[in-house]
Amino acid sequence: MPGSYRIINYALRPAKAIERRMLCAAFERLNPFQRIQKYRYVGFGSIYFSDFQLLHRELGITDMLSIEKDVSAKACFRFNRPYKCIRLKFAPSTEVLPTLNWGRRTILWLDYDDRLNVNILGDIATVCLRATSGSIVVISVNAQPDAEPSKEDRDLYQEETGKPFDLGDYRLHIAKELIGEKLPAGTSGADLRGQDLAKVFRKIIHNGIDEQLSIRNAMLPAEERILYRQLFHFRYKDGAQMLTVGGILYRAAEEKTVMACDFDMLPFIRSGIEHCSIKAPCLTAKEIRHLNSQLPTRPSVKLHVPGVPDADIQQYAEVYRFFPTFSEILFA
Amino acid sequence: MARTSSPNGDRVLINASPTKEFFIHMLTRDIPLTRAILDLVDNSVDGARRIRPDGDYDRLWVRMEMDAKHFRIADNCGGIPVDVARDYAFRFGRPKEAEGTPGSMGQFGVGMKRTFFRLGRHFVVRSITKESRFTVDVDVDKWMADGESPEKWHFKFSEIETGLHIKEKDTGTVIEVDRLLPNVTDAFALENFRSRLAEEMSHAHALTLDRELAITLDGLPIKHDPQELFSSQLLKPGFIVKSYSSKTLTGKSGPPVRVKLYAGVSERSLHEGGWYLFCNGRQILRADKTATTVWGDRHQMRVYHPDFAYFRGYAYFDSDDGALLPWTTTKTGVDADSPIYKAVRQEMIEMTRPVLTFLTNLEKERATAAAVRPLEHAITTARAVQVQTITQPHAFVSPLPIRAPSGPKMQKIQFVKPAAEVEKAKQLLKVRSFTAVGEKMFEYFMRYETGEKE
Repeated sequence: MPGSYRIINYALRPAKAIERRMLCAAFERLNPFQRIQKYRYVGFGSIYFSDFQLLHRELGITDMLSIEKDVSAKACFRFNRPYKCIRLKFAPSTEVLPTLNWGRRTILWLDYDDRLNVNILGDIATVCLRATSGSIVVISVNAQPDAEPSKEDRDLYQEETGKPFDLGDYRLHIAKELIGEKLPAGTSGADLRGQDLAKVFRKIIHNGIDEQLSIRNAMLPAEERILYRQLFHFRYKDGAQMLTVGGILYRAAEEKTVMACDFDMLPFIRSGIEHCSIKAPCLTAKEIRHLNSQLPTRPSVKLHVPGVPDADIQQYAEVYRFFPTFSEILFA
Repeated sequence: MARTSSPNGDRVLINASPTKEFFIHMLTRDIPLTRAILDLVDNSVDGARRIRPDGDYDRLWVRMEMDAKHFRIADNCGGIPVDVARDYAFRFGRPKEAEGTPGSMGQFGVGMKRTFFRLGRHFVVRSITKESRFTVDVDVDKWMADGESPEKWHFKFSEIETGLHIKEKDTGTVIEVDRLLPNVTDAFALENFRSRLAEEMSHAHALTLDRELAITLDGLPIKHDPQELFSSQLLKPGFIVKSYSSKTLTGKSGPPVRVKLYAGVSERSLHEGGWYLFCNGRQILRADKTATTVWGDRHQMRVYHPDFAYFRGYAYFDSDDGALLPWTTTKTGVDADSPIYKAVRQEMIEMTRPVLTFLTNLEKERATAAAVRPLEHAITTARAVQVQTITQPHAFVSPLPIRAPSGPKMQKIQFVKPAAEVEKAKQLLKVRSFTAVGEKMFEYFMRYETGEKE
């Protein structure tokens, strides 16, 4: 199977592009910990390296590492590397992460295509046990619930379990296979449908971080303990439903430094179960320019563009600073 | 030159009595937190057993709540009688003459106190039975500082009333522990800890939950998966019942030990496959795949293997005298040296063999190209049934494998190709398995290159 990078052009996913810019705007505020240029960025660049391009251009980060699990097309990834400062490691993240020097302040974006699973929780554990104070960890996973399976698969389920098919049970069955004992007690099949799956996934990630930090902190004096503060909780849908959660890891003694970053002045910061939904309305370049000329403004002021639904205008006004513009360019 | 002299008087005595601090340390060091809490649930379940010997626990409940500062467990399961509290429940170690609950789980007389010490430094127990009520309120730090002489080891009732007439529905016990130890506070703050506790509880008390005892953790009902085996006309689980008299076990008369053993197949799961063992309804072993039960050379058996992921065995030991059962004090393991366990294990081994033979033949059948697959058919058409509904003892029943087909000698071929190409071939051939891809390709080649239809 070819990687998803050949099926979807990552650069053209508008909600993802907005998320990327929002994250970048938040990372920029890390200066109280140290100059942002001195941070290390670790991510999954794929062949588009969209996140790497943005963070190098906007923030000047030069210590960059892209982890690539697809070891069969090394030349392709090397060729597409946009800047010389991006190092590549060809191995699954579960193998690479434990080998990194975690003494460096790091921005880590684990941007998976997969649904949450034990390996991902393992990666999160690795980071929580090692990352130094002032580091950022961001996790993106697919949170699309299982659709009703085909007749064949339903029969197979019935044969394997000896029980009549039930969509809720089936989803629970799959969730248990993916997540095992970290699935919260009392989770039922009904909790795994629609938007609720993202809710459960966020909880599992959060619980995983809590648990690992508790292990790490058990032997540390109070002021040396590492705390986690959630900053990001996005849901968006360029195709499948996606969930992004993340935040900052910091020493208890550095609470004031976190305060100085003043993340809360950014409108998309979410510190709890409330999420920020990213929607990218379909607008033409001309409509975008027209709206931009009326922005920013107070929420009470009504914006106007002929023929565009109010809901779309509203959505645009919330994300306009981060909105990507796609256009066709002829390279000569 | 050194002088020796015969010691006399007090000088010969070495003070070997333990200090309270040492005692608490020794008592609590080996018990995991989740297990310590399960011990309290065991006590509630024993209460339920006492007032409902028929085993129907409808409308009885056990409610647990915990946060970073408190632990609380409450039940309406009959309460602890004052004399039991005075003579046994709060005493260290359980005197042999103690009159236990028939078929009880709390066998070792350490459970409650051990749990209190494991959790925190202040506990209050309030209990109401039909005839009495009492409160015990202990500040563990004060108790430790109070001195080491034997009478200073006692706990005192802070309230006590007897000769009452209270309706059974108003009876029960409430236990609260606070001034929690730091590692307990840390654990209680974690949702993953609660999930693990709920999971262990659902396994440990699977049978009790079946009998409608409503156990909740912070309001969340504890549920469990029933013990099931596949059953049909073609495939029947093995089931035997054994009884061992107290005379043969201890040389004294007393209540017997009843053992029920079930072995068969269930949903394929590498993780869940193996033997399960219960003592008086409490799960002691779960999905055991080691020599502790039946697996490996020591028992002239094969070691557990993915082919056996369908296997399930359930062993239930029950006795009114829990001391006769093969469990350890933490209830996390079986006493593998006890004569009764050795005897029963032999039965377990004998019951396991035919199931493994069936599963081995199933894998052989799957490896052949046979059109008729009686073993596969038996396993896919069977339905899961709860083992408790199986009442007639009989041996494991399964279809016989088809003898090697009388046709030509067969040869297996194996090769490796890029996944993307194989996936494409699978789609073009409209088949579901990679085995079928290989077969179809071979047939295709034979048809066009040799002119023969394979």
